[in-house]
Amino acid sequence: MSEAVIETTKLTKEFIRDEFHVVALKDADLTVNRGDFVALMGPSGSGKSTLLHLIAAMDRPSSGEIRVLGQDLRALTDRAIAHWRNAHIGFIFQSFNLLPVLSALENVELPLKLTNLKGAERMEHAATALKLVGLGDRLGHYPRQLSGGQEQRVAIARAIVTDPDLILADEPTGNLDAASATDVLTMLARLNKEFGKTIVMVTHDPHAASFATRVRHLEKGLLLPEGQAPEEWNAAAAHPGSEG
Amino acid sequence: MHRLGSLIVKSGLRNRRRSALTIASTAASLCLLGILMAMYGALFYGGDETPAQALRLITHHKVGLADAMPVSYRDKIRSLAGVRDAMVWQWFGGTYKDARDQRNFFARFAVEPDRFFRIRPEIVISGDAKRAFENGRTACIATEKLARKFGWKTGERITLVGDIFPVTLELTLAGTYTDPENSEALFFSQDYLRESLPVGNSQRDQAGAFQVQAMSAADVVKVAREIDAAFDNSPAPTKTESERAFQLSFVSFLGNLKLFLAAVSGAIAFTLLLVSGNTISMSVRERVGEVGILKTLGFTPGMILGMILGESAVISGIGGGMGVALAAVICVGLRQGAGGFANLQTMAVTPAVAALAMGTAVLIGLVSSVGPAVSASRTSILESLRYTG
Repeated sequence: MSEAVIETTKLTKEFIRDEFHVVALKDADLTVNRGDFVALMGPSGSGKSTLLHLIAAMDRPSSGEIRVLGQDLRALTDRAIAHWRNAHIGFIFQSFNLLPVLSALENVELPLKLTNLKGAERMEHAATALKLVGLGDRLGHYPRQLSGGQEQRVAIARAIVTDPDLILADEPTGNLDAASATDVLTMLARLNKEFGKTIVMVTHDPHAASFATRVRHLEKGLLLPEGQAPEEWNAAAAHPGSEG
Repeated sequence: MHRLGSLIVKSGLRNRRRSALTIASTAASLCLLGILMAMYGALFYGGDETPAQALRLITHHKVGLADAMPVSYRDKIRSLAGVRDAMVWQWFGGTYKDARDQRNFFARFAVEPDRFFRIRPEIVISGDAKRAFENGRTACIATEKLARKFGWKTGERITLVGDIFPVTLELTLAGTYTDPENSEALFFSQDYLRESLPVGNSQRDQAGAFQVQAMSAADVVKVAREIDAAFDNSPAPTKTESERAFQLSFVSFLGNLKLFLAAVSGAIAFTLLLVSGNTISMSVRERVGEVGILKTLGFTPGMILGMILGESAVISGIGGGMGVALAAVICVGLRQGAGGFANLQTMAVTPAVAALAMGTAVLIGLVSSVGPAVSASRTSILESLRYTG
């Protein structure tokens, strides 16, 4: 039996924005097993990013249960969540989010500064991660000296350098051209297949989703049953690459 | 937190122009603050008291320095228990060349040459000059610095026109000396002053002050009390105080200098606090998104708080260090130009002043960044990542 890495039950997120009561996510039941590469798809405002943020413990649910890697996230303090996130989660942003004052190597080393590794070990690990994403010759380059695709690869290296159990990616190809996007998606697929990494990726792009092993759709805050997708998504899936 | 040192430094100095301007403004403010602190220290605490100085007391009229006492007090003071020696210590004032030129002002005292070097053993002078001063009726000695300033050579004729005393003194420079306490002073014989005054002039038998040497430092307080008690019911009651306290009494002539210096220092610190606070706020506001990234990577709110406080401390520390170094250089110049104002001749950025100024700089940096740092550390990841400035 597969080990569940993520389990949510009736997970709900509501908030008040400008006097309006917004239900961003309602009663989401999701199970992601170790080794899965899951794409969460849906249009803007469907709740896919909200679900990803709840899985990453970047936000607290309004109700429902969420266990990630066996940990009930609602029971953790902010400080404990920060340590947990550093140890178990690798996060990839749409806009790369590298620190401009740090070189590629230093950016990748950043999460390791929170571990017990010594300086030389940290540098070695960071260099290895950068080599893995094909940037072994760009260690000393600063983000401004890299292309968008290279920046995202540095961000991937930063996400995997701590050898996390779970990689979460929020529209990782959203800011990339088609060629770079394919490179990045190929890399994520490789991390999943060759290194057994569990990946949850938010995307609205059917082409990106085609690299995943499972696809779950969200619509208006509802997580649709596995295999079920809105009509327009099915239509778009028939023409991969037509978006993003 | 030490692992984040390089990140703190790089983040703190990321905007080079702003960092340079902030450091420069901190350095300028801390330089001024350092000078004021050094001035405060010199005026109210002076340098370290020498062993000889610790034994010395000054006796003057209880009413003030403008009132004189009978010169006969000296013998009575000498006879008191705990007193090793005493001599007349008479401020002459007067004019050298042109009174309108401030450069011609220096301390001029009538003293008793035969006791002078016993009571002031820290004075360094050649044997020949000492003998010439003790034996020559019109002989005077001057500090090397003063002689250099006016180009005086041994044997030089120096004319002082009196104002307090209705006399013109024609002095002969017997030699020069060095005195750690005073860089510009001239001494001549009390007997010569007395003889120069017209017969019948009441000033002949009066003295403005006496310099007293106690047997031991432990006797100083007791001696002061006994001297004042001895003349308590006389027409000219006295006030005896340590030489250090006497020097400080001159500072009080300048008004409430302590309050003035404290007020100016406070204004500088407050202005710096506002400037620094504004800069740190701008810097943090620009990087709210980065705070969200760091938190996503596992940085705790405490670490974020520490990093921002650290950045501010780094900038303030660099500015403070530069300011203190500059203040130390300026103090050397001010010390040279202190003239006869003995208190300022010890003015220096001592380790204590440097530590206090640096501490102030870092504290201002920390206080000014507390608000932005706490705000950044408390902002949620999603709010931070959504922030567009």
